[in-house]
Amino acid sequence: MSGIPAAIEVDFAYGRRLEWWTLAWMSTIIAVMYFTMGASKAMQSALIEDFLSLVPAMTFLVAGHFEPKKPTSRFPFGFARVNSLAFLVAAVALTLVGLFVAWEAASALLAQEHPTVPPIEIFGQRVWLGWLMIAALVYSIVPPVILGHRKLPVARRLRDKVLHTDALMQKADWQTGLTGIVGIVGIGMGYWWADSAAGLLIALSILKDGISNIRTASAELLDGAPREMDSAAISHEAETVIAKAQECWPGSTVRLRESGRYMIAVVEGVEPPAQIPPHGELTGKVPDWRLARLTFEPPQSDEA
Amino acid sequence: MRCSSIIVAALGAALLAGCGMPRDPDGTSERVRASRVIRLGEIVGAEPDAQASAALARVARLTGAQVERRQGHGEEMLEALQAGELDLVYGRFADDSPWAAEVYFGEQPGRIGNPGKSERVPRFAFRNGENGWIATVENEVAR
Repeated sequence: MSGIPAAIEVDFAYGRRLEWWTLAWMSTIIAVMYFTMGASKAMQSALIEDFLSLVPAMTFLVAGHFEPKKPTSRFPFGFARVNSLAFLVAAVALTLVGLFVAWEAASALLAQEHPTVPPIEIFGQRVWLGWLMIAALVYSIVPPVILGHRKLPVARRLRDKVLHTDALMQKADWQTGLTGIVGIVGIGMGYWWADSAAGLLIALSILKDGISNIRTASAELLDGAPREMDSAAISHEAETVIAKAQECWPGSTVRLRESGRYMIAVVEGVEPPAQIPPHGELTGKVPDWRLARLTFEPPQSDEA
Repeated sequence: MRCSSIIVAALGAALLAGCGMPRDPDGTSERVRASRVIRLGEIVGAEPDAQASAALARVARLTGAQVERRQGHGEEMLEALQAGELDLVYGRFADDSPWAAEVYFGEQPGRIGNPGKSERVPRFAFRNGENGWIATVENEVAR
């Protein structure tokens, strides 16, 4: 189980390109936000949120660097599980973004902060800074919407939960950008609470995604049964493989766990067969590469 | 696509709402126009200079109001501003003053370039968040 299966090589390379694009675009967004934020709390938290949102993209690239490497004497099972570790890091980052936005919004609401957005002079013209902030926020929305939409199908094909979490992070990005605009317009209309109230709602949805991802990532590291990509439910593909294996070896116990994007199966209570069933018989519609290892544990003799 | 339609709707709302923005959450501009009075707090020893007075006169003309002056010490004036008993306070304020988070300090009338953080700059202070009022006065200060 080393290297990337040929079936997903192209998608894997595309995923990595998407993540490099993410880092590049998000850096330009961070720069634009930095120059327009002024003293606005909402813009400051949007900036910190953008910084944190780089974490899943970076962990994907780091994990993608190690995953294809061959096993070594120090890591005899290879590096497939780097992806599981990266998934946990990305899930924690997403949750932190949710917590951060929630805390900022709630404390501003409780303190009844009335955000001040003054006029400024730009190229000899007096402009309300709110308009510049809205322009910066509109710019900050466009790349995440496009990148997130491109990442989702690739993440599904790669069974890559890090990339999936990163697509969720992009969703968090454009949603906080949009709430930022609603908030600034709200401030402009004289509703001081608009910004924080909208931020709090979005934070709750980010938190929900983050916590569900932490649960799935923890399950993966605890050798839990493979989970669905977008929920904590046991993966449909895992259930298919278990059912097929039990058809092939009636009376056996089949246990499945997840190692990065791969599934590892242990069939207990049967002698190792002389021949492994042909491709497709065990996996059905599940891609073959997904079942990376199949081991057998013979029945324990009574004397043992 | 759902996302893009949300964005278009939000931008449309922003443009529609754009007329007359920014407004004041606590209605300072409306009150000034309705009562025809600008309540100015002057911190003792830092009375408005010629440029500040000229800016104030322009704001008064623009809003059809008269300036009602009240003199007092720094904290007293800024607390009254926070409580909504004054619309403006004129004094010397530094950016690193502890009051900088509690009220908004405008720009120094007639100044080009940014002052240092600890420099006490003669300027108007406003209630936080009264963005319409701040824009009205600051646009005249910058003229």
